[in-house]
Amino acid sequence: MSGAHMTGSELSSEAMNEYVSVRIGNQLFGAPVNEIREVFAPQSVTTVPQAPAEVAGLLNLRGRIVTAIDARRRLGLPPRDADDAGMALGVERGSEIFGLIVDSVGEVLRRPCAELEPVPAHVDPNWRSMVKGVHRLDKELLAVLDVSAVLGMANKDKAA
Amino acid sequence: MDDLISEFLTETAESLDVIDAELVRFENDPDDKAILDNIFRLLHTVKGTCGFLGLPRLEAVAHAGETLLGKFRDGELKVSAPMVTLVLQAIDQIKYILEELEANGAEPAGDDSELIKRLEDAAMGKGVVEDKAPAAEEVPEGWDADLGRELRPGEVSLAELEAAFDSTGVEGEDSAEIVAVDRDDDIKETAADEPVENLGIGDFDPDLGRELRPGEVSAAELEAAFESAEAEPGMAPPEVITPDMSKEEALQAAVAELSGNDPVAGTKGEGVKMTKTVRVGVDVLETLMTTVSELVLTRNQLMQTIRATDDEELKGPLQRLSAVTGELQDGVMKTRMQPIGDAWKKLPRIIRDASQDLDKKIDLEMEGSETELDRQVLELIKDPLTHMIRNSADHGLETTEKRISAGKPEKGVIRLKAYHEGGHIIISISDDGQGLNTEMIGEKALDKGLTTHEELARMTEAQIHRYIFAPGFSTAAVVTNLSGRGVGMDVVRTNIEQIGGVIDVSSTRGKGSIFTIKIPLTLAIVSALIVGCDDQRFAIPQLSVRELVRVGAGSEHGVETLNDVRVMRLRDQLMPLIDLHEKLGFGEAAIQSDEDSGFVIVLDAGGRNVGLVVDNVLDTEEIVVKPLSDSLRGVSAYSGATILGDGSVLMILDPNGLAGEIVSAMDEEAYNENGARSAAEVQDTQRLLLVRAGGSEPKAVPLALITRLEEFEGDAIESANGQEVVQYRGRLMPIVGLDISIDVGSGERQPVLVFAEDQTAIGLAVDEIVDVVEERVDLQMSSGKQGIIGSAVIKGVATDVIDIGWHLDQVRTGSVQRRATTTRRKVLLVDADAFARRMVAPLLVAAGYDVTPTGGIHEVRVVAEAGETFDALVGDPTALEKIRAEGFWVDVPAFGVTDWPDTGQNEGMTAVLPKSDRSALIAALDKASLEEKAA
Repeated sequence: MSGAHMTGSELSSEAMNEYVSVRIGNQLFGAPVNEIREVFAPQSVTTVPQAPAEVAGLLNLRGRIVTAIDARRRLGLPPRDADDAGMALGVERGSEIFGLIVDSVGEVLRRPCAELEPVPAHVDPNWRSMVKGVHRLDKELLAVLDVSAVLGMANKDKAA
Repeated sequence: MDDLISEFLTETAESLDVIDAELVRFENDPDDKAILDNIFRLLHTVKGTCGFLGLPRLEAVAHAGETLLGKFRDGELKVSAPMVTLVLQAIDQIKYILEELEANGAEPAGDDSELIKRLEDAAMGKGVVEDKAPAAEEVPEGWDADLGRELRPGEVSLAELEAAFDSTGVEGEDSAEIVAVDRDDDIKETAADEPVENLGIGDFDPDLGRELRPGEVSAAELEAAFESAEAEPGMAPPEVITPDMSKEEALQAAVAELSGNDPVAGTKGEGVKMTKTVRVGVDVLETLMTTVSELVLTRNQLMQTIRATDDEELKGPLQRLSAVTGELQDGVMKTRMQPIGDAWKKLPRIIRDASQDLDKKIDLEMEGSETELDRQVLELIKDPLTHMIRNSADHGLETTEKRISAGKPEKGVIRLKAYHEGGHIIISISDDGQGLNTEMIGEKALDKGLTTHEELARMTEAQIHRYIFAPGFSTAAVVTNLSGRGVGMDVVRTNIEQIGGVIDVSSTRGKGSIFTIKIPLTLAIVSALIVGCDDQRFAIPQLSVRELVRVGAGSEHGVETLNDVRVMRLRDQLMPLIDLHEKLGFGEAAIQSDEDSGFVIVLDAGGRNVGLVVDNVLDTEEIVVKPLSDSLRGVSAYSGATILGDGSVLMILDPNGLAGEIVSAMDEEAYNENGARSAAEVQDTQRLLLVRAGGSEPKAVPLALITRLEEFEGDAIESANGQEVVQYRGRLMPIVGLDISIDVGSGERQPVLVFAEDQTAIGLAVDEIVDVVEERVDLQMSSGKQGIIGSAVIKGVATDVIDIGWHLDQVRTGSVQRRATTTRRKVLLVDADAFARRMVAPLLVAAGYDVTPTGGIHEVRVVAEAGETFDALVGDPTALEKIRAEGFWVDVPAFGVTDWPDTGQNEGMTAVLPKSDRSALIAALDKASLEEKAA
């Protein structure tokens, strides 16, 4: 967790939100840092026939079975190229570990809490259930992911 | 504070469970003081702690219950069922409040005054009271003038305390030994230096002037304790609560008392009963379990790698590591084992309540409660067991009147049994009630469209009984709140199958029913078969694999289709096949044409055989079963996932899940039997030609023997040499009337059955060709009637079955021989089936062979002993093999004739031919004789 993009003074005492920034499709998303256990490159994903569409498969992370959820699928975006495995955010839920597969992972961003705005009207309604709010950055919007919702576990809130 | 509350909740929940069970025991045995004392003490402790923790609602209810119990204990009140029910209600209320406390962190708002009043009324004798001489002395309630209230458990009156304090020096928090009361009702005492008489509960303490209550110590002991002051600071929470103690300390004391801690080990060692157990959180055990499993996996990986290399140095230590890991694994597995009695704890209470609700007398017997099983499994079967017990009570056992009028003892018995058997735990629930109502179940099954009348008629009772496991099935006329909603048994079965178990039922009307559950003992590490489908691999638990068979081209087994389901014949039973590609929706089916071959894994899916078709069978491995992610739980095909030694993740297939839609459980046996029957029927059904010949009754001719059906113009039939003939395909064909006389040269069209062999043809004239039927022919062999094999009921009419051979012989004796062979070659025909013999023999005779028909090995031996020789053996392949095996005519060509020529019975046969292809058989025989001649 290095680097920080700051507007305003680094000595500011405002409350800050920290996000792991990721790209899914062309959109910049932020996953709250405290929900992300690790970031890794998904390898040898075993596809699971008959599984729900967004389950990309299962993979082995240091001896633990991780359920890979494809974020693009969840967000209704077209799939990545076949040879692009993307990156994965490791999220723990109860006794399970999930890997949320995104296109790429960027730096950790720190944004003032106060800057968090509600989801704008033009955002895809399907996304509303999975996005908690937005931060307006210089050049684009940072959409804050509701990680539980994206994993499809809105009902089961077993916080890590 | 939170920790204390949590511990309190856990402890109290356990206590309440015990109280439940004990109350039921007590009700049956009200004179047993020990049980009552136990109950009283437990409840008393609960009450006390509630007081300390500031839980007034709980305290009040517990107190009222305790008071009532106290009356029993003192003999002032007689125990009666309504009384016990009342106490149980109090317990239930406490449980409820505890639940709310756990959920919300505080007692729920509410009022129990109604319940409390009833308890108090009962205690005051406003219920049924029988005067009894008071057992002991009139004990004054421990009213402490100083405190201005009753003494609470563990409390000593202030005056005494002061006295005790004055006589010794109190060192801060140090206090003395604790007379802690543990669940076994044993008083753990530590001996003091002075020979103080250690008094127990109920003993009369001269100082106090009354009996000791649980948790109380006699004043003398207190003094002694204070004097010796052996406790280490911090380790010995004060047992005696003084008003100037902080609440923390008071709590610690209470909790220590509850948990039966004996922090000061018996230094003098007398009379100390240490419970050698440790409380460990379940999550700690789980972590340990997972870690050990990973260790096992890593060990497996290492072993694999080592196998590949030749590093001798590593092998030794690795073997050690492997052995130690195995031991560790075993040890950890043991920690997961719990006695099944834990799941049975609640049952006595449930039965008691049910017994009251239903107004039936029920006895619950439990055998084998110490049988251990995996904790996870225990959790999963708790509910199913409860459900089944309720069912037995509700639907199984009859009402008392019915039982008596049926001559049964008035008390119904439900018996629970558990024992280990070969890697499994077997649990049985039996009742001596009215048994399952087969008719009603059958009707219900019909109603729900689960079966048809015909199928039902063919089912055994046991098969019909299995319908109770169908979803939504309940024949209960009235749905009680106990059971009968029809969601029960199928959920039970699913739950049990989820853990790899099976359940079955056996029932006799009027006598009772037995449900038997069989569950594998260990869950975590299993042996698995790794199979491949395209480039994907899957694991199948070895326990479910019954057999491995090759199927398709080049193997003995062929894939057939029956009722749109692909099946395979496995030792005379038809087994449904599932292609893994198709089931999982990828790739192409393994066996699509006759040239394809594959592997069939014969799986045990809930007791039935199902064949899984895969491309490859790769390996067997020990795998750790990892539970399925929630997101995958809905996919019935998988029961979990695993990581192989090479690090790859594989799905573990669930045979039950795979088989689910193909054949539902109930149909299994019916299917097998049906399948076998249909196969048998196909074997036994003959295609018969029904004709009328000389009379109005129909006659039957095996169609297989007939080459062609023709109709000749009456004037086409001529007479030559006294034999009716007709010009047929460039030759003269003799015609013989089948019991009829042929009108030569008449105008009528004459139906003729043509039998052709090579160049020769013979016609059998009949009056009328009626029909072609395919029927099971139950042949009643007739004795002596020439020209007739026997008779059978065909289409409801007794019909003669014509012996074609005989008729043909009639023709032949007068007519052109097939060939001028000087010697007819001799064929031994072996077939147990008389009909088959009768069918094949005439063919061979017509083809110019001398046929010796035999039925079985005995007749064959007779023939052999008579020194007969043969040029060929023809018949049922199995029989021919047997003959060969006995050494008869070993170098004589043998031709197997069977319905299913691909069934791989061609060991040592020159050829195996289908029964229906007569000419192929003749051709083969001819060929063999030509070869022989040439040789």
